[in-house]
Amino acid sequence: MTHKLDVLGLFDNEYRDDGFRSCSVTGLEVHRTVDNYVKLFGLTAVIALLFGGIFAFTVAMTRWEVVGLLEPADFYTHLSMHAWNLLIFWMVFMEIAILYVGGPMVLGRRLPITMVAKAGWAVMVGGALLVNYAIWTTEPPNEAPLLTAYVPMPISPLFYAGAIIFILGTVVAALPFFVTMWYEKRENPGTTLPLVSFAAFVTSIIAVEALVGGLFAFVPTLFWRLEMIEWWDAAWYRQMYWIIGHGTQQINLVAMIAVWYFLTHVVAGAEVVSEKVSRTAFILYLFFINLGAAHHLLSDPAVSTGWRIWNTSYAFYGATFASLIHAFAIPAGIEAGRRKRGKGGGLFGWLTSAPWSNPVFSSTIFSIILFGFLGGITGVMMGQLQLNMTWHNTFATVGHFHATVVLGTTVAFMGLIFFVIRTMFMRQYISQRLASIQPFFYSAAMGVAVLMMMYVGILYGIPRRTAEVVENIPGTEFSLSAASPLFAVFGIFALLAIAGGVLFVVVAVGSLVFGDRVENGAENADLVADGGLGMAQDPDDPVHAYEMRGTFVLCLVFLAAFVITYLLNWYLLTQLWSIGA
Amino acid sequence: MTRSESDATASPLQFLRRAIGQAWRDLLSVYYANTPIWRLFKSAGLLFFGFFCWSASSLVLSYGIEWTILEYTRAYGFVLILWGPLTHAVIVPLVIRLRRTAEHPVVRAVARNGSKINLSVFLAIVLILGTVPISPMLLDFQSPLESASGSDVNPDLSCTRSDGIVSCSLSESEGIDSVVVTSGNREIERVEEPPLEFTFREDDLEEVVGQKEFVVELRDEDGETLRRYRRSVSSVPEA
Repeated sequence: MTHKLDVLGLFDNEYRDDGFRSCSVTGLEVHRTVDNYVKLFGLTAVIALLFGGIFAFTVAMTRWEVVGLLEPADFYTHLSMHAWNLLIFWMVFMEIAILYVGGPMVLGRRLPITMVAKAGWAVMVGGALLVNYAIWTTEPPNEAPLLTAYVPMPISPLFYAGAIIFILGTVVAALPFFVTMWYEKRENPGTTLPLVSFAAFVTSIIAVEALVGGLFAFVPTLFWRLEMIEWWDAAWYRQMYWIIGHGTQQINLVAMIAVWYFLTHVVAGAEVVSEKVSRTAFILYLFFINLGAAHHLLSDPAVSTGWRIWNTSYAFYGATFASLIHAFAIPAGIEAGRRKRGKGGGLFGWLTSAPWSNPVFSSTIFSIILFGFLGGITGVMMGQLQLNMTWHNTFATVGHFHATVVLGTTVAFMGLIFFVIRTMFMRQYISQRLASIQPFFYSAAMGVAVLMMMYVGILYGIPRRTAEVVENIPGTEFSLSAASPLFAVFGIFALLAIAGGVLFVVVAVGSLVFGDRVENGAENADLVADGGLGMAQDPDDPVHAYEMRGTFVLCLVFLAAFVITYLLNWYLLTQLWSIGA
Repeated sequence: MTRSESDATASPLQFLRRAIGQAWRDLLSVYYANTPIWRLFKSAGLLFFGFFCWSASSLVLSYGIEWTILEYTRAYGFVLILWGPLTHAVIVPLVIRLRRTAEHPVVRAVARNGSKINLSVFLAIVLILGTVPISPMLLDFQSPLESASGSDVNPDLSCTRSDGIVSCSLSESEGIDSVVVTSGNREIERVEEPPLEFTFREDDLEEVVGQKEFVVELRDEDGETLRRYRRSVSSVPEA
């Protein structure tokens, strides 16, 4: 049955009389409401991705000072647009879609209180539009907020209002997920949630923490900006702000890992090696990961050294430990699952025989590898009180979070969009070849661009959020022109990465508009894991009976990279002040 | 007897010899793995590893640590950026194909020893570049410290206020062509003649979040900004 608001036939799958359909790829019972709302939030996210990507071009071409596209004042406006559209709107709209996938879809339920979901979406869109309008129309004495909008910088009140509306909309949009969980536990009090639902639930709890922190930060600040409050404490704002500022990135992380478990299982036949261990890792996130936000305050005067060390070292390692568990558990699940299917010759045969031409699989794997090696290692390292001194507010920091939220989260979410195109929108890709190439092209180009960001930050101390550093630091003898060769490499690869992003949007939107319709499940057979997912249910063939030595070797390589990077950074820190020399 | 059973009865020396032998065979099988995805993995992996070795060595050298080994790891990384992908995307597949198809004795000899030749050339280039580095692989760290690209213009701006008038002066004026004072979007004062002193009324300033702010910009003869000072009236001392 076609919905009255259907556009381009995107919301008209075939359902049984009870509103459900059986997904030929996942084997799940999917209700019409879940399909429609996942599509709605996913499409909105892609629009935000496209919009933020335009500003990726202008920002990167300003930082590459040979091009020097924008004036400093315009640069801040564009950087703010880039940050809010990509780091917040693209991510959060996707995350609501992931909650609906991880909750009602995986549990085989309908999405309850759809009017609330609709209202949440409308409020979120309203907030996002208002934030964009406020940033784009920034006029002195107001300043563009960047991502952080630190007090006492005067920023348009509309911006704070938009941010608050967006946060409230997100909470509203998450309510149907919570209601789903409530119903599920009421009906099945003795059973455990499936792992992906469990991960989504953990994500939602961290999300609520972050969003409440955002309200604590932005609501009083709006009153201050409207001059209803005479003064507002900058240190207090920063501490509250980072609950959402970094909290949202923790939502990205946990949602991304939920996507890793889901997609590797569905398209590669991965199994969960140990439910207990993986769930424990998610619980560790719940308790420790938000404390990691403290690393933003490591150069602030307001908090004690003990507070900093506790939050960014001891406590945060609880979250690091969880990430390391996932770093082993997911590849091990793929390896054991594929060996079980007879697809695992030798040390790495399970990996090389995997469906690499399937963009859903390749996106997920690149996300795992690049997030771990480039984003994770640098994050744990620079989040330390001591090592932070050489990284803080340099362009290397920007390199780190592009490795996490672009190479990690965005690439994983792109994989999920590729998956949703085939299994929910029921469309073939307009070009299988372009779809297959996109994850390789985008990940490789962005990987090099990210490395260059880190290099210029660490090698030359290039600052972040600055339009002109290489050609001109006005009125000083201090020059960073030596960094220009690395900036040239950065600029070229940033352009290539943006081309990869454009390719994604072209393939995704093109497939929705022009792609052939998938008429029956057999046409999606190329997405199904070798041997189907039924094999995972065989109690006489436990997954832990299979070898995982390939994963062990990969983890040793990862550990070696971790140790070398750690030692190198500590060594350089000692050299900086010639400690012990 | 299975391998694990024979391992259980092997002496430590035998076990070690077997483990090393197995590791070597694994290494060879990875080196010669020739499916498209393996070629891509090896090429991309070595490219990133090359970048890492080159940059990490350059980084340590930039701190003035003069270890000879670092010059060779820097050269190794730099050459590997190109040679890793070249080896695994071009040379290894070519050698494998030639071993099957080559008929001319010279070509057969080259094919049989292709990987040795390739690795020897690679290591020779690394040794040469480690000993005699070329400029593209050397990142320049000295110019930031010794460059004289611009004059250092950094005067102190001192302001006082009395009866609603703010008066400011600069400690030196060398290299400064003009001073522009703005508040919000409006220019409220411009000085183009020395001495670069200026006054303006507090009432002319825009107020935002209860603060009256002004920005003082120092410009050179081309109109380029040299320095920018942002002050709020509440922080300006009474005369």
